[in-house]
Amino acid sequence: MKRTLLVAIAVCLVGCGDQSTSKKVQLRYMAWGNPEQMALEEEFCQEFNRQNPDIEVKFFRVPGSAYLNKAIVMFASRTSPDVVRIDHFNFASLAKKDYFLNMNPLAEADADFHKDDFYPQAIREGMVGSQLQGMNVMFGATIVYYNKNLLKKNGLQDPYKLWEEGKWTWEKYREYAIATTVRDESGRPKVFGTQIAGWPLYVGTIWGFGGDIFDKQGNPTFNDPKTVAGYQFLADLRWKDKVCPTPAQGANSAFTFESGKLAMIVDWMGNTPRFRKVIKDFEWDTVPIPSGIGGAVPPVKGNQLIIYRESKHPKEAWRFVRFMTGPWVEERLYCQRKRNFPTRRAQANSDAYLKSTEPPFNTASMVKAVEIGRELPITDRWGEVSTIHTMEIDNLWSGRERNAKVVLDEIQRKVIKMLGEEEGF
Amino acid sequence: MRSKKKLLEQPGFWGFIFITPWLLGFLIFTAGPMLTSLWLSFQKYDLHSSKFVGVENYRRLFYEDPLFWKALKNTFVYAIFAVPLGIIGSLCLALLLNQKVGAQKLFRTLFYLPSLVPAVASALLWQWIFNADNGVLNTFLHWVGLPAVEWLQDEKYTMSAFILMSLWGVGGGRMVIFLAGLQGISDSYYEAARIDGAGPWSQFRNITLPLLSPVMFFNLILGVIGAFQVFTSAYVMTGGGPNNASLFYALYLFRNAFEYFKLGKASAMAWVLFVILLVLTAIQFGVSKRWVYYEGESK
Repeated sequence: MKRTLLVAIAVCLVGCGDQSTSKKVQLRYMAWGNPEQMALEEEFCQEFNRQNPDIEVKFFRVPGSAYLNKAIVMFASRTSPDVVRIDHFNFASLAKKDYFLNMNPLAEADADFHKDDFYPQAIREGMVGSQLQGMNVMFGATIVYYNKNLLKKNGLQDPYKLWEEGKWTWEKYREYAIATTVRDESGRPKVFGTQIAGWPLYVGTIWGFGGDIFDKQGNPTFNDPKTVAGYQFLADLRWKDKVCPTPAQGANSAFTFESGKLAMIVDWMGNTPRFRKVIKDFEWDTVPIPSGIGGAVPPVKGNQLIIYRESKHPKEAWRFVRFMTGPWVEERLYCQRKRNFPTRRAQANSDAYLKSTEPPFNTASMVKAVEIGRELPITDRWGEVSTIHTMEIDNLWSGRERNAKVVLDEIQRKVIKMLGEEEGF
Repeated sequence: MRSKKKLLEQPGFWGFIFITPWLLGFLIFTAGPMLTSLWLSFQKYDLHSSKFVGVENYRRLFYEDPLFWKALKNTFVYAIFAVPLGIIGSLCLALLLNQKVGAQKLFRTLFYLPSLVPAVASALLWQWIFNADNGVLNTFLHWVGLPAVEWLQDEKYTMSAFILMSLWGVGGGRMVIFLAGLQGISDSYYEAARIDGAGPWSQFRNITLPLLSPVMFFNLILGVIGAFQVFTSAYVMTGGGPNNASLFYALYLFRNAFEYFKLGKASAMAWVLFVILLVLTAIQFGVSKRWVYYEGESK
């Protein structure tokens, strides 16, 4: 009697259980971002779950400031989510520790996956040797944002027209910056023509001057004469031409593009949604970065979606990665919201991306910037290179040393020394 | 059986039972991590892999890392100025707030309020005060006909700015301890001194200071330890710049641990700091015999 009762209870419990979730493969996905980005990614996870009844993706969000630490601790403790978004700045150093799954077998078995659908730089950023270990998202290039009102007020031709005519050069950029800088009677700056972008955004300027920070063999070339010329151009904008705010003038965000106090800036395309949201009282648009003797070569960079090497569900994780890099998500994230730039050529060249009802209207400039863009030379020791560079270049940007060659010789010496030493000390 | 009963009757046994949770907490959360960090200081460890390297982390710190010495120097300079100024400031404030005047409690509350502001919020506030272009401090300098100073951008002034900012905390816990110490001094001493014709300065020098010296000593020990751990203000306001002028020891340690993931090196730095503080505290205890007066103690 007792046994019959137990069996009945067990049958009842099984019957009452949520069969739909018990059979589902559970995946965890980790990412960071601002509230708008997080809300969109949550929406995408829900849509994926709806389209894939056999899988349930749980979205795990971590604040940006703690993200890298969290990811490293989770990888090291073997508790990582199945799919993780990684900033490309950290991709190579983490890939070296063998945390990421080689996606080649999954990609080869997927008849719908074609590398040619994507921009080659987007694919290359996710490659480790011959292995595909990351699929690019939040991709984009640097671009020039310009305040149309300030340029018009000073009788300057629209830079987009100059770019179309092939006349948009770094020298022209300097002329525009000088023309748009305004001071009051006491000499106090009211508007600056431009500002020095953050590292490594200004690598595009260095490339434009024909220089580079590493050669093709991976040797540092910080003190190459052409590289020095690029850095000196930027330093002169601040110290000779006085068209960039000094660190003191720019403190506490006193001069920002969105406040209308900067005529032109070089920044990532990903800033577009923020500018769309906050700029209400002037017209603005975008143009590819100017050209120099090295051409017009903006840096491109994205984040990578990786599958954790020890994930128990790599096939399902691949399906999720494919969804997040697929046309449905790309159209919503990049074409409609302009949060970054599509990794897929078809999406970038679609009407949904190109036809815009709010700025920037020069969407073709975004497409062109990515087409001519180049990946940054990010290796597994990028963090150490950046630390040395940031510390030393501060001497140039803060005016303690105004000769770029002196500072870059020191960077070159220190980077060579660091690369010759054992990593991790 | 008898021995078991005896054990239960021992007062010491029950003492240990009652402090077991604290002891376990200390062993697991304090002593354990401390010993682990000592072990890690002899390793090259980046969370992913570790390798025993002997004293290499210490050797590199002392002989190959100029930033280690820069951070140490910055921290010493900061401590040398900020600790005495802070103690003098807190003492002066406590003396003022100990006066029997109207609205005394209101003043005490008002002066204590800044210490309740979270460290990050006060750092942001001071960043604005020090703003070279439109900050409060430079506006004041302009009024009195002095030139503007780039407090946080010019390395010549950055340390002064941080020392000035450290005075923000004079009305905090240290002042409350001084106030408690002042209230613990019996009025009869002052009364007797006044009858003997002693003025306010003489009373302060010969009664207040000696009787307050143990409190001062306590504040000095805590002040030095606190000054060597200064972190948040530099992390928020300057990130250690310009040109590492505000790179304090704790900030550099944090960077090595959680930005560069050089946990072996960071652990070695933590142990160097521990030894420095141990030595400084021992010196202070040694010197205290000359100037700290405990009531009832014969000298």
